[in-house]
Amino acid sequence: MIQGVNSVVGISAAPDLDAQLMLRVKEGDDESFRLLLEKYRNPVIHFAYRMVQDRAISEELAQEVFLRVYRSRQTYEPTARFTTWLFRIATHLALNWLRDGRKERGQQRLDDDRDGEMPAREVADRLPSMEQRMVYQVRLQEVRDAIALLPDKQRAAVLMHKYEEMEYAQIASVLECSESAVKSLLFRAYESLRARLAHMVTGVER
Amino acid sequence: MNCPFRSEDASSDFSLLLDYTAGRLDSQRTAMLDRHMDNCADCAALRVEQAAVWDTLDAWEPMPASIDFNRRLWQRIGAMESAPWYERLAESMRMAHWKPAFTLAGATLIIAAGFMLDHPGGRVPVTGGSSTAGVSVTEAEQVEQTLEDLQLLHQFDSATADVSNVSKQM
Repeated sequence: MIQGVNSVVGISAAPDLDAQLMLRVKEGDDESFRLLLEKYRNPVIHFAYRMVQDRAISEELAQEVFLRVYRSRQTYEPTARFTTWLFRIATHLALNWLRDGRKERGQQRLDDDRDGEMPAREVADRLPSMEQRMVYQVRLQEVRDAIALLPDKQRAAVLMHKYEEMEYAQIASVLECSESAVKSLLFRAYESLRARLAHMVTGVER
Repeated sequence: MNCPFRSEDASSDFSLLLDYTAGRLDSQRTAMLDRHMDNCADCAALRVEQAAVWDTLDAWEPMPASIDFNRRLWQRIGAMESAPWYERLAESMRMAHWKPAFTLAGATLIIAAGFMLDHPGGRVPVTGGSSTAGVSVTEAEQVEQTLEDLQLLHQFDSATADVSNVSKQM
């Protein structure tokens, strides 16, 4: 189930208070920008991280996202939900980064950067055993690989659907495609994920 | 069993199944899918697999932002705000949305320049035979003549109106 994910994006439906905050930013209220930054800093960094799988790059991309939001404040018009606009910028930047540098970077960064995650179980268990940590790391690496193997747009669609709990229409608006195209992207993406992660979920009882 | 939820052609139906598994459906549609699950082993299995995949994805929780993330951002904002206007302009030009426009403008300029070089004076030569050219010239003359006639007619009407006004005043 998608439950258990602390998403602020999916929660902020109508009325769009974030757009109101952004309109205040437009009027010169930096405090409103601070509020938006506090609210969306982690979702944007996490989204970027899951897209590019590099902690330093994801922070750099997130900085660029908020910089662009601030720079565009004077021309901002609430034509769409604030989160749609925010994630459209984040998605464009991440997709551009993936497109521009994929050949040069190769797989090196994916293998090198393993310090970007916090073991979720570790928080709960406080003191995980060495075995638990190893199992967690193996499990995590398989999840990362399965996500990394998805085509860029499928990956973006899954991340927004799973972790940000966005509706199909909003994902479509972020990716600038039709709702049926999003459904098709998700169909194929989840099909791949089920196949790649099948060995990890075998025997799960519900 | 030939289930409508299991093909890409029916990705809308698949999304319904996704929403059902995620608990995002209203009670009416949930009840409908509940009944379907009782009769469709494939969908019931898919539901379990999909839920398990989501559980697996939940294990991937990235670290929170660096402590100095905000400080670095405000530093960059400060630098951006205090930069001279031409640097800010260059920075906004750097934004990705402009790039296709520049490419398009460049391509248009190249095509326009090529056209101008190919046809100095802006005249496009008539490629057809002399008879075609003759017809074109004749047509142009006819149009010109018609316009002149219309202008004369308009002047005549104005003059007639003036005369009648003068007669009324007298």
